[in-house]
Amino acid sequence: MSESTFMGVERDRIDWSPRIDFSKCNDCMDCVKFCPHQVFEVNENEKPKLKVKNPNNCVVFCRACSKTCGPDAITFPDKPETTKMIKAIRKAEKEAASDE
Amino acid sequence: MSNTICVLPCNGLDKCAGDISRRVALKLSESEGVELICPVLLNQNKTRYDKILDDGSLSVIDGCNTRCASKLAGSLEIAIKEKINVSEVAKAQNIKLGAAIRDDEEIEDLIQVLLEKMSISGEKQTDSQFIETETVDYDSFSHGKFIFKVPKNNYFFNENDCWVSISGDIARIGVTDYVQQNLSDILYVDSPEIGLEIEQFDELGSIESSKAVFEIVSPVSGTVVTVNDKLDDAPELVNESPYEKGWLVELKLSNFEEDKELLLDFEAYFEFLKRKVAETNV
Repeated sequence: MSESTFMGVERDRIDWSPRIDFSKCNDCMDCVKFCPHQVFEVNENEKPKLKVKNPNNCVVFCRACSKTCGPDAITFPDKPETTKMIKAIRKAEKEAASDE
Repeated sequence: MSNTICVLPCNGLDKCAGDISRRVALKLSESEGVELICPVLLNQNKTRYDKILDDGSLSVIDGCNTRCASKLAGSLEIAIKEKINVSEVAKAQNIKLGAAIRDDEEIEDLIQVLLEKMSISGEKQTDSQFIETETVDYDSFSHGKFIFKVPKNNYFFNENDCWVSISGDIARIGVTDYVQQNLSDILYVDSPEIGLEIEQFDELGSIESSKAVFEIVSPVSGTVVTVNDKLDDAPELVNESPYEKGWLVELKLSNFEEDKELLLDFEAYFEFLKRKVAETNV
């Protein structure tokens, strides 16, 4: 298992990362200060300043940054759907492996 | 200890959520044995409130996720006995608050809901059915000045650093040593409601330090049957004994055999954690 897997599934096959509603974001950057995984990037000269630069660095099922967000501008994909998808990929891989 | 309840509300006077927290606090203060704490004065001069805080327990009303009131209590190292977040409750009620102060029926209803939530605590729960093993064996590794412990037997883990231990059809759940060290002093444990049915990886409450809020990602599916009410008065147990006395919640399992496929055993988690600690600068 390499560091780019989650539950044995390649990380880039799992769609899990913060979605930012820029109509609510107030540029406080609390999420950037909070996240230890360099998911976000700040570009002072761009608008919006905040960018989700490394979505696959985001820990699957972690929603901690959204809990630091005062204006509630961060959302995440649906958890049960994501779990279902991970299970489906694992099952397909297992079957593929036993067919070989 | 007397039963004085000290209410510390958010002070966002210019925003809707802040205004609601102020109104809830004022309503609560109409009851006997409730004292209001002004966050601005508390910040300026804590000694002004030392006496009532020593004699009573602290209830915090946060307006939004900036959690100014909680953070203030945290920075002054005052343990929080109970708390509520206006924006989160509004969201759960499908009420969009917006920024401007409002005074309409929807807001009145929300205030009622908040007041009810503040007064309903200690729901009926069954005593723990979990049979503890007499001793828990640990292995550990060090990284810099930190030492991380992981129990060797009868514990499973998810990759979100929550553990589960099984006794019959009861699962006991908590956070790993890594989480408690990362958060440092736990000030508040937000437990899920008894009877709540959850799927694997659903949110199972949260724990909070002055540094951050950590969402408990449930390692298993089931129904909440017991919460560790010792943590109400002693959330530091999560720091002192994350795998034993600081357990958080017990669930009645619904499908452990399937859940187990997505969990790590001791060896796998130990390796996972070593790698993770090496990669992140704790």
